[in-house]
Amino acid sequence: MSSRDEILAVAGLNAAYGESKVLFDVSVDVSRNQVVACVGRNGAGKSTLLKTIAGFLKPTSGTITSDGENLVAKPAFAIAGMGIKYIPQDKKVFSDLTVRENLELGSYASQDYDWVPVFDYFPKLKILMDRKAGYLSGGERQMLMIGRAILGRPKMLLVDEPTEGLAPSIVMHLRDVFKELAKKTALVIVEQNLPLVCAIADKIYAMREGRIVAELKERASIKPEMCEQYL
Amino acid sequence: MNILRWWWGLLLAFALVAIGRAFLPLPFANEVLIFSIYTMGCNYLLGRVGFISFGQPAYLATGAYGAGFYLFYFGNNPYLGLLMGIAAGIVVSLIIGPLFVRLRGDYFALVNLALAVIIFYLMQKVLADITHGDNGLWYLTSLTSTPILDLTRPDQFFIFAFLVAFALWAFYKYLDDSIFGALCLATKINEDKVKFLGYSSFGIRLFAFVIANTTTAFAGAMYAVYLGFVSPAITGAERAADPVVVTILGGVGTLYGPLVGSVVYTGMKDVLSKIIGNWELVIGFLLVFIMLAGEKGIWGSLAPLLQKLFTRDGKAPDRGGSR
Repeated sequence: MSSRDEILAVAGLNAAYGESKVLFDVSVDVSRNQVVACVGRNGAGKSTLLKTIAGFLKPTSGTITSDGENLVAKPAFAIAGMGIKYIPQDKKVFSDLTVRENLELGSYASQDYDWVPVFDYFPKLKILMDRKAGYLSGGERQMLMIGRAILGRPKMLLVDEPTEGLAPSIVMHLRDVFKELAKKTALVIVEQNLPLVCAIADKIYAMREGRIVAELKERASIKPEMCEQYL
Repeated sequence: MNILRWWWGLLLAFALVAIGRAFLPLPFANEVLIFSIYTMGCNYLLGRVGFISFGQPAYLATGAYGAGFYLFYFGNNPYLGLLMGIAAGIVVSLIIGPLFVRLRGDYFALVNLALAVIIFYLMQKVLADITHGDNGLWYLTSLTSTPILDLTRPDQFFIFAFLVAFALWAFYKYLDDSIFGALCLATKINEDKVKFLGYSSFGIRLFAFVIANTTTAFAGAMYAVYLGFVSPAITGAERAADPVVVTILGGVGTLYGPLVGSVVYTGMKDVLSKIIGNWELVIGFLLVFIMLAGEKGIWGSLAPLLQKLFTRDGKAPDRGGSR
């Protein structure tokens, strides 16, 4: 990939929670429509990396640029407004709002009221429109969060552990959805489900103790058995 | 038909107020209406944005003194006085809001209480030369009669207050159903998630703060016009919890809660204070009971029962059921 296709460049990133340093000189790059996965043990800094890119944690040093714009100084809502949408791990939706209202919030922010792609990916949401999101199952919540995030055709999705705690059938469904989404948007996925990661990723960063310890770019090297050593 | 389904409760509530007017003393009816407007702002802040404020008297006083200064020093048209009160509310909310809405929970409640105390002492002592301290500003006899609805006459003031309260309820109903209402609730539930959808949660909270406190200032201006007098007592710290109490009593975040709470609170105050000296004690026990019964308040508890009564299948609607 040429640098012209690069839509996210993270260089020399350091981040900390108070006195506790979590990321050490992390460098990551993502190209247009590329699926990049981060794997590693719990506490390796994967989620922190996504939070820092999304603007929820200010780095202590380093740069994050997207299409030539520096993201470090920008607030989280402005980064989302640039088309970099973060889907967190906790699957917490706006529980007192209905599915429709949750989607409306996504639509209003991006001024994209075309929900057809959302229902193409997740037909189940169509029949849950008037249900309060607090009464959805974990899988349905994940569908809602992804559906809401893809409104406005974001240029990149930052997805944190999307399959954690979900039934295998839903995991398979999400895998297919991610494959389809990758045709239109870049994905950065933090995930411990190695078969899923290897099925969709174009590049894998392995993290350990806040550092990038390996970068797997060749198709032949993107295999679960290759990644397992980093878990 | 949808409109009827959504608005029947509002129409019924105000029909009851109008009917009640025939049986209740005029001062009581006027106080209920003004108090319910006063509570609407607090109800929105607490129910939709998650801000508990013990400083609402500060904004009430802002509106009251905005109207009072105009009516005492500059003019005598009550309608212009009301406009001055509203303008004062907007200005003060816009100045203070960016500082206060950054705070959370207890800090927000206390900093507002501190503001009420500051305004009390400003009006009572620091600015006594122009506020006349505890004596207050009197202008009841200098107010001019106005066409259509003469606000100097209590019976016509009631009609005006009734229309204003109705319009404000309609406004808050619209706000609740709008995308902004959903954003406020979303901010209350999870502020971070609002941000990663691309919204500024600060902007949402500030806008809600200005709307709510301007409503409170409007109520203050109405007090100033209705009573023809304004004094520092309006922002006394001992009354700081009143709107919060009425909001909880009526049902936090419910549309009719402020009206129901105001009727019950003002009614108990008027009736009980004639029978027993410590009427606040009864309110206190009632609040404890409501909290133990599920924190829904009077309207929050009644609404599901009424819905069962008035819907054929006995099931509450999925959306906005208790509102």
